[in-house]
Amino acid sequence: MLLLTCPNCGDRNVSEFRFGGELSSRPKDPSALSSAEWANYLYMRNNVMDAQTEWWHHNAGCGLWFLAERHTRTNEVIKTYPYAKRNA
Amino acid sequence: MLPTKQMSVQLLRQAFNSSQPPPRMWRSHELKERYDVVIIGGGAHGLACAYYLAKEHGITDVAVLEKSYIGAGGSGRNTAIVRSNYLTPEGVRFYNESVKLYEQLSDDLNFNVMFSQRGHLTLAHTDGGVNTMRRRAEVNQIEGVDSRLIWPDEIKRLCPYLDVSDHPRYPILAALYHPPGGIIRHDAVVWGYAHQADVRGAHIHQNTEVTGIKVKKGKVTGVETTRGRIKTGTVLNATAGWASTITTMVDIKLPLTTIPLQACVTEPLKPFLDVVVVSGSLHVYISQTDRGELVMGASVDPFSSYSMAGSLTFLEGIAGHVLELFPALSNVRILRQWAGICEMPPDYSPIMGFTPINGFLIDVGWGTYGFKASPIAGKTLAELIATDKTPDLIAPFRLSRFEENDLVGEKGAASVGH
Amino acid sequence: MRTEQDTLITPNRLHPKEGEVIDRATTIRFTFDGVEYPAHPGDTVASALTAAGVQVLSRSFKYHRPRGLLCCSGHCPNCLVQIGDEPNVRACTRPVEAGMEVRAQNVWPSLKRDLLSLTQLGSRFMPVGFYYKTFIRPQKLWPLYEHTLRHVAGLGEVHIDTPLGEFDKQYLHTDVVIAGGGPAGISAALGAAEGGAQVLLFDENPTLGGHLRFTVPLDSSSTPEVSKDLPELLEAANQQPNIAVFTDTSVLGWYQDNWLCAVKGTRLFKIRTKSVVVATGAYEVPLIFDNNDLPGVMLGSAVQRLVHLFGVLPGKQVVIVTANEDGWDVAADLQSLGVNVGAIVDEREPNACSSPYRDGLVNAGVPVFYRHTILEAIGSNAVRGAKIARIDERAAISPTTTQSLNCNLIVISMGWTPATELAYMTGGKSEYNEECAKILPVSSPPGVYVVGRASGTHAVDSQIAEAHQIGSTAAAFAGSGEVNKLTAQSSGTLEPRRTSDRVCVPGNKKRFVCYCEDVTDEDVELAIAEGYDSIELLKRYSTISMGPCQGAMCSMNTIHLCARANDWTVQETGTTTARPPTTPVTLGALAGQNMEPVQTTPIHQWHLDHGAAMMVAGLWLRPNHYGDPAAEAMGVRERVGLIDVSPLGKLQLTGPGVPELLERIYTNRWENLRVGRVRYGVMCNDEGVVLNDGVCAHLNDETWYMTTTSTGATTIFEWLQWWLQSGWGEGIHLTDLTDVYSAFNLAGPQSRAVLEKLTERDLASKAFPYMRIRSAKIADVPCRLLRLGFTGELSYEVHCPSGYALHVWEALMEAGREFGIAPFGVEAQRILRLEKAHIIVGQDTDAMSDPLSANMAWAVKLDKPDFLGKPSLMRISDEGLKQLLVGFKMADPDVVPDEGLQIVEPDADGRLKIIGWVTSSRFSPTLAAAIGLCWLPPELASQDGAPFTIRIDGHLKEARVQHSAFYDPDGERLRM
Repeated sequence: MLLLTCPNCGDRNVSEFRFGGELSSRPKDPSALSSAEWANYLYMRNNVMDAQTEWWHHNAGCGLWFLAERHTRTNEVIKTYPYAKRNA
Repeated sequence: MLPTKQMSVQLLRQAFNSSQPPPRMWRSHELKERYDVVIIGGGAHGLACAYYLAKEHGITDVAVLEKSYIGAGGSGRNTAIVRSNYLTPEGVRFYNESVKLYEQLSDDLNFNVMFSQRGHLTLAHTDGGVNTMRRRAEVNQIEGVDSRLIWPDEIKRLCPYLDVSDHPRYPILAALYHPPGGIIRHDAVVWGYAHQADVRGAHIHQNTEVTGIKVKKGKVTGVETTRGRIKTGTVLNATAGWASTITTMVDIKLPLTTIPLQACVTEPLKPFLDVVVVSGSLHVYISQTDRGELVMGASVDPFSSYSMAGSLTFLEGIAGHVLELFPALSNVRILRQWAGICEMPPDYSPIMGFTPINGFLIDVGWGTYGFKASPIAGKTLAELIATDKTPDLIAPFRLSRFEENDLVGEKGAASVGH
Repeated sequence: MRTEQDTLITPNRLHPKEGEVIDRATTIRFTFDGVEYPAHPGDTVASALTAAGVQVLSRSFKYHRPRGLLCCSGHCPNCLVQIGDEPNVRACTRPVEAGMEVRAQNVWPSLKRDLLSLTQLGSRFMPVGFYYKTFIRPQKLWPLYEHTLRHVAGLGEVHIDTPLGEFDKQYLHTDVVIAGGGPAGISAALGAAEGGAQVLLFDENPTLGGHLRFTVPLDSSSTPEVSKDLPELLEAANQQPNIAVFTDTSVLGWYQDNWLCAVKGTRLFKIRTKSVVVATGAYEVPLIFDNNDLPGVMLGSAVQRLVHLFGVLPGKQVVIVTANEDGWDVAADLQSLGVNVGAIVDEREPNACSSPYRDGLVNAGVPVFYRHTILEAIGSNAVRGAKIARIDERAAISPTTTQSLNCNLIVISMGWTPATELAYMTGGKSEYNEECAKILPVSSPPGVYVVGRASGTHAVDSQIAEAHQIGSTAAAFAGSGEVNKLTAQSSGTLEPRRTSDRVCVPGNKKRFVCYCEDVTDEDVELAIAEGYDSIELLKRYSTISMGPCQGAMCSMNTIHLCARANDWTVQETGTTTARPPTTPVTLGALAGQNMEPVQTTPIHQWHLDHGAAMMVAGLWLRPNHYGDPAAEAMGVRERVGLIDVSPLGKLQLTGPGVPELLERIYTNRWENLRVGRVRYGVMCNDEGVVLNDGVCAHLNDETWYMTTTSTGATTIFEWLQWWLQSGWGEGIHLTDLTDVYSAFNLAGPQSRAVLEKLTERDLASKAFPYMRIRSAKIADVPCRLLRLGFTGELSYEVHCPSGYALHVWEALMEAGREFGIAPFGVEAQRILRLEKAHIIVGQDTDAMSDPLSANMAWAVKLDKPDFLGKPSLMRISDEGLKQLLVGFKMADPDVVPDEGLQIVEPDADGRLKIIGWVTSSRFSPTLAAAIGLCWLPPELASQDGAPFTIRIDGHLKEARVQHSAFYDPDGERLRM
């Protein structure tokens, strides 16, 4: 079973976490978007077979939503970090 | 009908003259410089499309490119359940056509795909579940598909080993019974289509991976592969599971997330399970093959991945849930587990047909319900390629529906989609 | 007691000898196909039967040929039997127990005379994959054929009344796991433990030692002396406190991040380790020749197991077929027991043989046939002889040299293939090594090591030395001890050619590659010629390696055959993917104890004590009713009732940022909600799909109290956490109080009178109006009271600390007694809310429903600047609805359409077109009418009173749209 490092709690079984999908952000001003752009935000995904930045939630632990970089072919977790440090 | 000999006649000939080599099911070819149609993905969908292109439209200058061996993806990894008891009328119609093609497929392909219409039970464990099953039964009946709601006494008759008492954590309240549903030999479907496509002139290229797609002025002009370049004006992406990795070559983003789906099989047992049993609440589906093994699967994994490694969590979960349903099976042994990958669209319905790039067509988004659609998907896409028009049957599944906010309602009853 | 009779009927039992694992002082009895046999504790089922001279243990899968012991190590399918209600038991590893009822499987009518073996007569018509080519036409007959095929196939039986056994699981955490307790495994364990690591050592056998338990190994100097290694190793392991040994325990699989699974009987181990040493040994490889499946053809290691562990000699006239020194070891071993070794058939040149036993055996007069191999096992149900022939200079068989030897046991010692499934599950890579004719692991991921025969090292002293070093490397990887220089580990110490690549000797009878599925070498060739040429296609078409042995017996030979037929190298041919489990494991062990989680409220026992019929609601168990739901509903309408709504999600939000958050997550307005007030709200996702509904109360200045649906509680909590942590959390604190508070809804015209008895709070409508929240002590317990109206009556939702929940509940029931209070369940609540046309999210809406279509436009404020789902809802609003959720009443009050039924419209041809469906329906006891909610096209739904038809049991029944609530449309009773 995959081990994920919760930025608060350390290494835990992946069964303690909930996957939140690849990182995408809600547009700042939705009203400015065309239908196509809004649909793109709602539905379209990169779905890469490569390193992917994605959301995880430590739902059986501290409740933190954080980001992980994980390779989607091997499931190797490259790193995990709090959302606040996404641009670090 | 082309002069393909009866398989059984071939078998007899082989029996009496074993020195003569048997006819090959499909041949190897050099990659041609140009094909009218290039199909990426040598699974049941791609091969079916090649077959129907030749058989129904006379289009035989077709290459099927498979990066591994034919049927290596979802076609060879699914649990081989065929059914048409969907929720939405468009889903029911589409899959009903597929079941009809499957019913004729052994004859059509001259290859026994062992379609066993043994009946399919979807169990309901809650009031809400019962209502959803009733909803499906009604939609099915109105669309001319044999489905009905049945109660524990009849469930017990059809499947004596099921625990229909009120002891389990999730007691069985009712079931959607779908007599035409059943199981099939999934690999045989792949091989049968490959054979007949080959006989009619299509080139099946195994171990040929697509590395790029050439587009000029919004139109497809060719495909680059690990074995060289091909010129073509028509490319069909039939690589469900990996579809995003192909469409990214032409800068198209798809509404897909690829997630593993796991399955396992037991040692062979004498026949005792005559129907396919599915439980949405317990996330399990189980059937017994003609060889006697129990084939079981669950819902998709909890996170996205292209990895096809099995997980222990899945095995533990499915074992527990199967014993909830069939307490007599605790001594039965799991022999092997495996995984395939599924690309899940937001509305649990496929995405078929045209894309913004001229000549680049898709047959993707097949989630957990792709294998059972192989014949009709191949047939309708062949028609689309031949006529350049979207057949009515697959119009609801067009890519543009996401932008048009016209999603298909199959997610409405989403539980386990097998 | 052992009787003289027993001695007579166990003719194959040898005299006692050192190292055997049976307790000869005790004799127990068991039956096989109804015949009683003696056995000793320590015997396996198969060893006891072999002692008694029973050779045929099973019939093969396809041709029903007699099969006997082949590998005697739990890998091949030949000894699968039914024991009581347990199917497919490997008789060669299952310890025999007194009174065991063992039966042969898949035989008809009996093991001795299986009529289905007649299928062999037609076998030329049934080559590999014959079923794909037959029974095609007429298609109508296929179900009939299929029925027959199914009943001929299959192995053991599942009895319908098999009890669900007791199973459990254990978690283990360690530094180093060693899989396999042979010399290499023990030595690796010692190496790791001496480095300071905690070590778990697993072995599938009852005792450690691997092949040293039953072989007489040679050291590398090839002097024939009995190894002193095993006792030394065992003693050292025993003394080492860092090693925990698990025998009878199979490591089933490796999963990501060194998560391993092992099983011991009914217990499953789940193990997290820092490093893994794979010491799983090797499988002895069968040889493919005519009748190679005849009972009496056995692998050399199988014979040695029987002889040394169980004191059983499976045959007295022995022919040994070999291509390496191991065959000579077996010969010497048997010779020393006084067995007549009839011949050694060695395919090598005389000078290639370096066995230290050679001279001894030759001097003792054992005939040796160099450059010879076996052509055929002679016999019908058991071996009576062996046909051998010379191999000529071009490596072909020269038919003129054929001769027959009398024997009743043919020992095959042709070589070994590493048991590397576990190693490859870790992602390790393999390569074919021409020198030793083996596919060997060449790389492993960090922290995974392969030692011993699994890595190709054959000599015991080399195994021990290498494994010790790798053990300490594994410990170092796990953080214990010095990091050894030997970090990257490739193949072990290889020796040339212990394994023959002559896997198949041609002939004119059946030669089995795959024992599980009865696949012959001709089948393999045929399949490849037909185009199933890659190893993966070959496997799927021929079903080779897909049976109970999972390739342990057949993989290597198949790869050789496949390579040869395609004219590929073994390396080009490749291998199939190794998949867990390495050995079959029961569903019971995988499942463990039945631990389907259940959530119950603090009132659960009270409900049970008062006759509640419980229902499953997500993870919760809730009272559906207490006997008569209609009466419960009428009780609420006329008097007062109490329902346990504790599963409701309860969230507390504090801080100055809360109002802005509520504006964003709900579709309606919140900033203007004053303290003490409660408002209903709908939450959508950005697709505009209804996620949840509930109320939110402004409790005091900066505190808000939100309820969610019972089944959506967790989802909404996580959803809110996500928005808070991804940018909307400024000045907000969120707490989940779902389990902290229990909640009851006291509903009905008398509810105020009941509650007044328990509180000093002024409950008059003026002081505490509808849609307000108040804090109050109820029966001395501080509670939160919410005046809500889901049931359509005056009602108070009492939220109290869960620790006092039962006290408050009982106090309410007691206070209500004089007013005729009764508990009501979910069913009565459904009736009551439906009479008010209140929707239930998840029942009336589904994963595609938006609030505008769900007829809740009043709760959607599209003029708010932004909220979740707004752009999608704007678009829906602009483009028009496709469906609308409305109330309906049946024309016939006695016809209640079941939920899920479809609303239809016949077209011109009389074909029904689906235009909507019923989401909720009940008979309303208050109104004596059949009422419900349904989805309809908006143009129909918008006409109050418009008729439409519902398909009920295939008949069309009329219903009419009703816009107002069915009961108290103006909501006067709520505000009483």
